[in-house]
Amino acid sequence: MAHESALNLPWMVATVTSFDSAEGKPWSELDDSALVAEAAAGRREAFDVIVERHRRAVYQVCYRFVHNHEDASDLAQDAFVRAWRGLRNFRGQSALSTWLYRIAVNVCLNRVTAKTPLTEPIESTEHFEDVRIEGAQRAMIREERAVAVRKAIAHLPKKQRATLILRTYHDMSHQQIADVLGSSVGAVKANFFHALANLKKILGSEP
Amino acid sequence: MTHLTPDELIDAMEGVLAADRQAHLATCEECRRQVEELASVLHDAKRVSVPEPSPLFWPHFSERVRVAIDQDAAAGTNWPAWLRWQVLLPLGAMAMLILGLMMTIPIDNDVRDAGQLTESAPHQAESESWGAVADLVGQLDVETASAAGVIEPGVAELAVLELTAEEQQELTRLLQAELTRAKS
Repeated sequence: MAHESALNLPWMVATVTSFDSAEGKPWSELDDSALVAEAAAGRREAFDVIVERHRRAVYQVCYRFVHNHEDASDLAQDAFVRAWRGLRNFRGQSALSTWLYRIAVNVCLNRVTAKTPLTEPIESTEHFEDVRIEGAQRAMIREERAVAVRKAIAHLPKKQRATLILRTYHDMSHQQIADVLGSSVGAVKANFFHALANLKKILGSEP
Repeated sequence: MTHLTPDELIDAMEGVLAADRQAHLATCEECRRQVEELASVLHDAKRVSVPEPSPLFWPHFSERVRVAIDQDAAAGTNWPAWLRWQVLLPLGAMAMLILGLMMTIPIDNDVRDAGQLTESAPHQAESESWGAVADLVGQLDVETASAAGVIEPGVAELAVLELTAEEQQELTRLLQAELTRAKS
């Protein structure tokens, strides 16, 4: 690596080397497939970058299932540990993000029951923005509606919930969702339809 | 024309409905109402956001993943040696064989058969029995078991040598009975 010959101070060489891939590029400049190859060869630095790049999306998927920060971060952590374990089996037939979603959704589906107790965040930045923009009363109504929708989503059957989450909040195509859930596009569309129909029914029956 | 199916209602909501079905939608109030209701629920769902964690959370999360992976790897290597599959597989195969023998051999008939066998042709029975031993042992992956440390080199031979004459006869009888049963 060019850096190493230019820098003779041992501690600096060590620092630069730890951030460089076999290609001589910084880890953060590698694309997902190169990172996967490096990580599968046992380079933890490459996997660190994968985590850094995808942690928010994985966390958000998990949060949508459990609606609380503690459980979501535990589930997301579990998903990445499983990803590390299964990295050598990743053939690159789908995008890394799709594969990570699949792991996260499976972790959530295995861990979460259909009647997960719903704990609401005490406060969020969104709430304060609403207060400024729309006024306290409108923000309160909107927040109540959001709580009702979250509760309704939490009562959906698992596959419907997963489909709704991936389609609505992660803009995944029906085909990608089918890949994640191991089902067909037709089944995904049917699940999406029934998820929305059930949401409507649950929300409509609330006082 | 028939109403839109659930798939088609989703396609209509997402604006990708086939042209011929679009014609139906244009004239069917019921289908239009369903599409609008689905879109309305979806709109409500989309407004539910995920609160952004503290900026300090993300580096902490990455560190947690690193630690969890280290612990996972350590747990994997610290398993007791006898819990590894290289050991469990041959052990399981041997256990199944023994269990199978114990459960399937009708003892009364076998005792009589064995008596006749030893009285009429002891030498023939002995040579056949060792053939039977070879057949049965051949079904086991001895190399795997040996490589896994379950069977020390020479242990099986030593064990057979240490059997008394009566024990050898009993082993012969059991194996012979099992072979006869399998052939019949």
